[in-house]
Amino acid sequence: MLIHLPIAQIAVDPLILAAIGMLVGFLSGMFGVGGGFLLTPLLIFYGIPPAIAVSTQANQVLATSIAGVSSHWRERLVDTKLGSLMLVGGIGGSTLGVGIFSLLKAFNLIDATVTVLYIILLGVIGALMAWESIGALRGSGGDPGRRTRLRAWTRVLPVKRRFPRSGLYISVIPPIAIGFFVGMLAAVLGIGGGFILAPAMVYLLGVPTRVMIGTSLFQIIFITAYVTFLQAAFNGTVDLVLGLVLMIGGVIGARYGAIASRKLKAAQLRLLLALLVLAIAGRLIYELFVGPLPEFELVSRL
Amino acid sequence: MSFRLAITLALTMLTLSVPSLAQPGGGPESEIMPAGLAQDSIEINVNFTGSTVVMFASTPQPENATSGLAVALIGPPLPQAMVQRTEGGEKMINFASAPAVFAVGAEAQVLVSAEREAFQRAGLEPAGALQPPVSLLTSPNLPAWRDAFVRLKKQQGLYIDDAADIRRFPGGLSRATITLPANAPPGAYRVRAVAFRDGQPVGETDQTLLLQRTGLEATLFDLSSQHGVVYGIIAVLLGCLVGGAAAWLGRKS
Repeated sequence: MLIHLPIAQIAVDPLILAAIGMLVGFLSGMFGVGGGFLLTPLLIFYGIPPAIAVSTQANQVLATSIAGVSSHWRERLVDTKLGSLMLVGGIGGSTLGVGIFSLLKAFNLIDATVTVLYIILLGVIGALMAWESIGALRGSGGDPGRRTRLRAWTRVLPVKRRFPRSGLYISVIPPIAIGFFVGMLAAVLGIGGGFILAPAMVYLLGVPTRVMIGTSLFQIIFITAYVTFLQAAFNGTVDLVLGLVLMIGGVIGARYGAIASRKLKAAQLRLLLALLVLAIAGRLIYELFVGPLPEFELVSRL
Repeated sequence: MSFRLAITLALTMLTLSVPSLAQPGGGPESEIMPAGLAQDSIEINVNFTGSTVVMFASTPQPENATSGLAVALIGPPLPQAMVQRTEGGEKMINFASAPAVFAVGAEAQVLVSAEREAFQRAGLEPAGALQPPVSLLTSPNLPAWRDAFVRLKKQQGLYIDDAADIRRFPGGLSRATITLPANAPPGAYRVRAVAFRDGQPVGETDQTLLLQRTGLEATLFDLSSQHGVVYGIIAVLLGCLVGGAAAWLGRKS
């Protein structure tokens, strides 16, 4: 069975797309990442024009994040206070990031910068997480220690506030700064930033892994709603039929992802996320050094 | 479609066919063939998964063993571009106009007897339909760029070499069924038929076919292109609705 997409202008198999949405939704519900960094390349690989893939994935991530956050919300595992602070920083950071993106584009440096940044970030984050979580699995399998040297900065800075859901008493500056930094990278790299935000919350702020998942999804809801609106309103690149098919698969996957996350230890979750991040880094390294891009490529006018 | 019905339909359309639509170009000896399409427009809706275009044409007489028909579905002409990557960096190759679809097909005896140049003169070669900007007209790389563009479009399934099933009936009547790919964009298409004899074009015709959006397909496209803000709000609301419904169902279960 095939359906025709009105904006992408191609016929697609909705079952394959729903399966893609379900896979990404499962990972989203399990790890608290949006999944855009995985969904966009999968859609492009399937044949969706890149501009449509980038924009419509935000619409799917919006739905799966709402579905995913609800179960965490009921279990009081969403720190809205912390999430709101990071959101404020994220909006500021992404605004600056858009400017940096334009500057890099003007100097024709965007492709090289994005690829190298991606590899460094994914490689470092993935390797550190894997190292730490394997160590943790040898112990209790829980969260990293609460008062590590890595988090000393959160305690010495001023304007301290309590974050009861996360069990933290830290300055408001670190969450805003992390949100700002992630928002800036997200704008430059064209991603939601969940896979950077999630480990940053655990390792730099000391947010418990289970609260991190719900809080990360909470923030992603607002970011993806903003991106969906902008892309649909000003670029006309959101395909609602494609989005709906992906959403249906995505929310089902997110539900089961959230259930699966409860059956694993926190360190196991972090290790799986680390392996996923490293796999994406490996693919990028392969593309950069082993599998060169084709000599000719059509440019989509969408 | 039965043989009798096909003949009746063909004769009706040939009577009604409009010769002014034809655009000569096959060669000095080429004559305008009477021809007609089974339908002059095709609708694209959410269920659209490709279609076929049926054309009837009366080929010039007399005929011999090499006589046959070649047809092409061409259009809509759009500005298109591709990137060329070299060691020195990336270069954008723009075509001022290139057909989004070029589906061509010919009878076996025509493929055997006609040279590539004859197809080019008859306007049945996709590379010849790519119009570069003036700045690239004298570039020695133009043939390579055209070939690369055609190759990429073939990979997308929009340029097709054997897209037509052509049947011949007694009296010089031919019926061509041409494949319209599912990813064909809406717009005005040209259905071109050229009759060959001894490897040369002896008759030609051009008919116009309109591919247009209808129903939900048209509503969503118009909303997206003309009322982007409303479309954006609907997209966000749809995401919230599906996510909210899934959360509610999750609680129930």
